[in-house]
Amino acid sequence: MRKLLNSVSVLSVMLAAQMSLSSSRAEDKLEALAKSEDNWAMQGKNYSANHYSTLTLINTDNVKKLRPAWSFSTGLLSGHEGSPLVVDGKMYIHTSFPNNTFALSLDDPTRILWQDKPKQNAAARAVACCDIVNRGLAYWPGDGVTPSLIVKTLLDGNVVALNADTGATVWKIENSDFKVGSTLTVAPHVYKNIVLIGSSGAELGVRGYMTAYDVRTGEQKWRAYATGPDSDVLIGDDFNKANPQYGQKGLGTATWEGDAWKIGGGTNWGWFAYDPGTNLVYYGSGNPAPWNETMRPGDNKWTMTIWGRDLDTGQAKFGYQKTPHDEWDFAGINFMMLSEQKDKDGKERKLLTHPDRNGIVYTLDRTDGTLISADKIDDTVNVFKKVDIKTGLPVRDPEYGTRMDHLGKDICPSAMGYHNQGLDSYDPTKELFFLGVNHICMDWEPFMLPYRAGQFFVGATLNMFPGPKGDRQKGEGLGQIKAYNAITGKFKWEKMERFAVWGGTAATAGNIVFYGTLDGFIKARHSETGELLWKFKLPSGVIGHPIVYQHKGVEYLAIMYGVGGWPGVGLVFDLQDPTAGLGAVGAFKQLANYTQMGGGVMVFSLDGKGPYDDVNVGEYTAGATSIIWQSPKN
Amino acid sequence: MRMTNLAPALLAGGLLVAMPVSVVLAYDGTTCKAPGNCWEPKPGFPEKVEGSKYDPKHDAKEIAKQQTSIQGMEERNKKRVAYFKKSGKWVYEVDKIPTE
Repeated sequence: MRKLLNSVSVLSVMLAAQMSLSSSRAEDKLEALAKSEDNWAMQGKNYSANHYSTLTLINTDNVKKLRPAWSFSTGLLSGHEGSPLVVDGKMYIHTSFPNNTFALSLDDPTRILWQDKPKQNAAARAVACCDIVNRGLAYWPGDGVTPSLIVKTLLDGNVVALNADTGATVWKIENSDFKVGSTLTVAPHVYKNIVLIGSSGAELGVRGYMTAYDVRTGEQKWRAYATGPDSDVLIGDDFNKANPQYGQKGLGTATWEGDAWKIGGGTNWGWFAYDPGTNLVYYGSGNPAPWNETMRPGDNKWTMTIWGRDLDTGQAKFGYQKTPHDEWDFAGINFMMLSEQKDKDGKERKLLTHPDRNGIVYTLDRTDGTLISADKIDDTVNVFKKVDIKTGLPVRDPEYGTRMDHLGKDICPSAMGYHNQGLDSYDPTKELFFLGVNHICMDWEPFMLPYRAGQFFVGATLNMFPGPKGDRQKGEGLGQIKAYNAITGKFKWEKMERFAVWGGTAATAGNIVFYGTLDGFIKARHSETGELLWKFKLPSGVIGHPIVYQHKGVEYLAIMYGVGGWPGVGLVFDLQDPTAGLGAVGAFKQLANYTQMGGGVMVFSLDGKGPYDDVNVGEYTAGATSIIWQSPKN
Repeated sequence: MRMTNLAPALLAGGLLVAMPVSVVLAYDGTTCKAPGNCWEPKPGFPEKVEGSKYDPKHDAKEIAKQQTSIQGMEERNKKRVAYFKKSGKWVYEVDKIPTE
């Protein structure tokens, strides 16, 4: 079977190479759809995942007039991550476990067009490390034979494709087995006709894998592991050809002792991006297992790695390990955002930028993985002195490493990272990335523990607290928001926040950057200066990202509320011990004084203009045999 | 990439006395055995943990469980997809997939 797969892979690579030679590339339907500002058709907005809207109706001059237009409660608590999708006049909303889905019409969002409520084994909750969150849905526009689909992941490990018009299940497959600790929180990512599914469970010793399925049938196309033999990791012959110093063959086993790679982590539960020009998909693999570094000598490849893989074959073109032999749980899954910029020598480059948990924001040439820049997200990062651009190696400060029989203190960043799962934005006109940043440091002491499939396999006790620029006495000042240039490495502006900016940002051509906060605000800052221009108090804290779309000439801003995720575990599960929740309880002890749980979507527009400006829209009409509604008059 | 250890050079120069030992010997990630393989044990820790006091003593049976589980899922999915392609109907319960 493997032999057959490989020969098919080689053929596909050759075909892909031939295709990329042709000068014109046919744009696929989904890519085209994502370019319309009427839609927000995927997490990240477009294949480049830049989260940038060209809409200008809401801008720095009138943003103060933003008001709620309508809202929707999902009926569930716990963390609400990701964002809704907007396609063809409908909004698709996802929830925390049990991962319900709702479709609403933008013309009359009071009527739920369809809803999907999966029956899942409640035991899946027990193996979710960090709240029962989910990062969102994917949309596929259909091809005339198969209808348009909404693809979703379930915490229990299933992947489901629903008919986007009716909500009926088209296919449902098993990707992960929660009985061995493997769950799904990642959003599916659809590129062309392929849906990519990541994995979760490194805190339970799950060996990470990325899987590609045919979106029409659920058929598995390829599966690439993060550790183990090259044939499992899908390391091709030309892997890291441009940067052999990153390492090439055999390292998925050679950088581990014995069979430790079989429970080696490297799950990928973050965000992806795709470049149709290179046909590569970009994502990062997570932390090695266990957190106790002493139990896994070696570089632990290929965890903590930025990947460029062929979409059709899964073969890795490049892999750059950011954190060799992780000692801090700097799970390398954060977003990948694509841009085209001139480097310091004036050479036009195709780039990917990636702010990592480890406190470094990396920019690579996305055609071959060459490192362009690696800057500290904040000058208080102390685990690394710097990253050597030529070798790609981080220069560790042994003072801030971790090891058995030792309590490491004042380590920055903490395991929660200086950046986590938030999906941020990039304004291509200003060449600025708007980063929602954490400012949390920690003390860390590992302990020995056995591996039992299905049980937690962490092996470290943590205390986390605000970084040097925050208020350690009060337990506040845990976040920052910054505007960053990836070529110069300069921050155009930086602002402190009370709590970690966990959910990510969205930027618009109206010179605004929007983001939600854990204390329950949606905020708008001037993207040139960082000046706070507007905010609104939401029902609960935010761990998802805002989206911006246009419907019938009105620009809307939407965001999910519902605090939770890792920073919310103390609040969600009512924990008091500061070291509980993998150390997050102590760090976020003040959170419950500002917010409580919730779950829903709020939609804003200028002056609150919306579907119910005509009060008769959505009204019950006596004697009517079906729901009657009128389009709002423009 | 610094392929050589600085310690001998520093020793020869008599600098070791003047510098904290940890600076010279501690694992800083820049001394590589091979490209992409730059791990070193920390001072006082073994090159291999097997047989040491840090031996994780993994149970081979436990460690094999994930791969067995994945193989099972892949086989069930194949049956589901094959029937879907043949019939146009999706049946999730593998034991309910018609054999004819």
